[in-house]
Amino acid sequence: MRELLPVLIVVGILAALAVFGPFIAPNPPNAIDIPNRLAPPGGEYLLGTDAMGRCILSRLLHGARWSLGLAFLVSTIGLIAGSVLGLVAAMGGRTVDWAVMRVTDIFLAFPDLVAAVVVAGVLGAGTSSLIFALTVTGWMRYARVARGIGLGLATRGHVVQAQLAGLSGPAIARWHYVPALVPSLTVVWTGMLARAILGISALGFLGFGVQPPTPEWGTMLLDARVHIRSTPLQMIWPGMAVVFCVLAINITGDVLRDALTDRDAPA
Amino acid sequence: MLTVERLTVRRGGREVLRDVSLSLAPGKTLAVLGESGAGKSTLIASVLGLINPEHGMVSWDGRPIARGAVALVMQEPRAAFNSRLTLRRSVCEPLRARGLPEDQDRFFRLCRGLELEPDLLARRPNQISIGQAQRAGVLRALIAAPPLILFDEPLSALDAATQKHTARLISAIQREEGFAALIVTHDLGYAAAHAENIAVLREGRIEEAADADVFFRNPQSSYGQSLVNAAVALGALEHRAA
Amino acid sequence: MNGAAELLLRSVVVLSGTAILTFILLWHAPGDPALTIAVARYDSVVSADVVDRIRTESGLDAGFWTAFSHWITPLLSGDLGNSSVSGRPIWPELRTAILLTLPLALMGLLIGLALSIPLAILAVRHPGGWIDRGAVALASLGAAMPAYWLALLLILAFAVKLLWFPAMGTGSAAHLVLPGLTLGLGVAASLTRILRSALLEAKGAPFLPALARRGVGPRERAFSHVAPHAAIPVLTVAGLELAFLLEGAVMVEVIFARPGLGGFLIHAIQARDFPKVQAVVMLTAILFVTVNLLTDLLYRLVDPRIGTRDA
Repeated sequence: MRELLPVLIVVGILAALAVFGPFIAPNPPNAIDIPNRLAPPGGEYLLGTDAMGRCILSRLLHGARWSLGLAFLVSTIGLIAGSVLGLVAAMGGRTVDWAVMRVTDIFLAFPDLVAAVVVAGVLGAGTSSLIFALTVTGWMRYARVARGIGLGLATRGHVVQAQLAGLSGPAIARWHYVPALVPSLTVVWTGMLARAILGISALGFLGFGVQPPTPEWGTMLLDARVHIRSTPLQMIWPGMAVVFCVLAINITGDVLRDALTDRDAPA
Repeated sequence: MLTVERLTVRRGGREVLRDVSLSLAPGKTLAVLGESGAGKSTLIASVLGLINPEHGMVSWDGRPIARGAVALVMQEPRAAFNSRLTLRRSVCEPLRARGLPEDQDRFFRLCRGLELEPDLLARRPNQISIGQAQRAGVLRALIAAPPLILFDEPLSALDAATQKHTARLISAIQREEGFAALIVTHDLGYAAAHAENIAVLREGRIEEAADADVFFRNPQSSYGQSLVNAAVALGALEHRAA
Repeated sequence: MNGAAELLLRSVVVLSGTAILTFILLWHAPGDPALTIAVARYDSVVSADVVDRIRTESGLDAGFWTAFSHWITPLLSGDLGNSSVSGRPIWPELRTAILLTLPLALMGLLIGLALSIPLAILAVRHPGGWIDRGAVALASLGAAMPAYWLALLLILAFAVKLLWFPAMGTGSAAHLVLPGLTLGLGVAASLTRILRSALLEAKGAPFLPALARRGVGPRERAFSHVAPHAAIPVLTVAGLELAFLLEGAVMVEVIFARPGLGGFLIHAIQARDFPKVQAVVMLTAILFVTVNLLTDLLYRLVDPRIGTRDA
């Protein structure tokens, strides 16, 4: 499992940011300071203030908990749900497989961000519908990958032996399928984590996601958009935060995939 | 007593087995001979209950064979083990699956019988030799004491010296444990040395079934004759002649 | 079982599933749908009578399956129904929106192709060289860039600072430049990545040295042998790019205030005009299912082995 090390490091740093970000923030994220509204960077506030005089740096650091924390949550729920469905398809015989894969097709028949917008928008703005919308539109890749690997494993000697021994389906999945899925699903997970960060900020920007005054990066961009002429820097910071996180995660995913494809197929 | 009655199996529109009938008494060894494509793997899968026959049935003492009542020793020793688990874990899987306790005395006795160092089983499949892996495979098949064990070309992945040694260990432990062995093989020498009964499978049908002594002295079918003649010419039946 | 008939059956199953799932989602949306319609339609305090009348009219009181058949029966004959807010037919309005989105999507696709094809070809001439590494870096950056942020940056640069192009609205070709560029840069990022690896793989194909030894010139090798090989992955990507274009268009249209398909959808959601939402969802699903069906069939034409592999 040494290949998973870069993922652990990058994800660890981002997780630390989500957990400890609020503690190193210099100001409360929602503290209003009208006399200092739209202040430029430098001076009293390191990255300046927004239209209500709130410290942008503090809001970014608190926002990490929402933008990154929710992305972790969403991509991990998707991982669990998707791989369970994929394994059920792979292990459940032809009819079950066909049914599960058609359900997957239904959810894939739509660009996932548009689907998330529809679901979140229809269910009403708020964090719980955001989580539901991104999860329900984000499990299919896991299911496909898990099923593909699972079908390959079904005829392996050790799997046949486990069946002959009379091991139960869940136990066979736990000991003979799941360990073989971990590397590939980690690659998918990094991709979905990046997508979740983009999705959360996009829905926030559209007003369907996390609601103000909560400092989420997408909603911060929405606030900043109005002031693009007077204080353009205000919209640079949250965007850079999103790009930096997504870029870091994507590069890590690429490194991991290269490390895995160099090796033989997992047993 | 294993009974296979008029078994017909169809796969992809083709009859792979046709009217196959066999029987095997407890503690005895039946070798099914046949070249590749004769339907040997299908026969094994049917006896294991992994595929459903078109008609006919497989039974043990008149009842269908329950999961866990029959074990399999595979052709590829290493692939039969999960590369991520220790051998000990895999070997004891048949016990865990049915919630049976691990009988330490029995475990060490079987290890001794198969000349396996118990410490070796703390390793993973790619850390031991193929011969050791195959003996571990036999150990797993034995561990829950099933009345019937199937051997699918158990020696073909091993080198010549290891083959003889492994075959002798299997026979010895069979005498101790008393399981019935159904060996599917194309190796006539192995069958001649260790089986009491012979069945010849060709293109999905049983061409001939007889006592091993009768078969090797006087094969009835022309296919059986050609098999025995070829083996004699290669000197594969020396052991039996002696 | 994996023939064209099976593919067709799959498409039908997927479309029915989409219809049912969408209806379930809207059925379970919070709030009383009849009240929502009433408020949207009369824009003031409404009496319980009005709400009840709307409930009966729309078949909302008859249970899920009745309401579903109310909606699906006209849809099967090509009628998308009426807006629950204005009561007017959906299709004319939707057509106007689509006609605004089409040029945007086309512009995005053209810009994407115009940027990615030369970049990918230059990149694979010297794999690992500085052009190659630059192209990969740009593509990675593009993939990490949210469309709406890129749009804001472009507005900042070209509309606010340089005053070259208008930032908002529709009307002239100039209005299309910034939205098209936003979309096109995103398309270019993903296409460059895919084209680059497809070309690299085709270049490394074992038959090329053999062709060279047989005296086939570099130009013919490139056009007659490398290009078809690179075309197969590009075919797969066509479906993905379509998703990307549609997704990008939704965001881009909101930012640039273009009343296209994206704007139509967002407004319908905000107004809780569910028949409109359903119309967009079903049209998109039909588009995607058709494209997927065509790619699957094309695949079988290009590579006959695929039909035998379990999809």
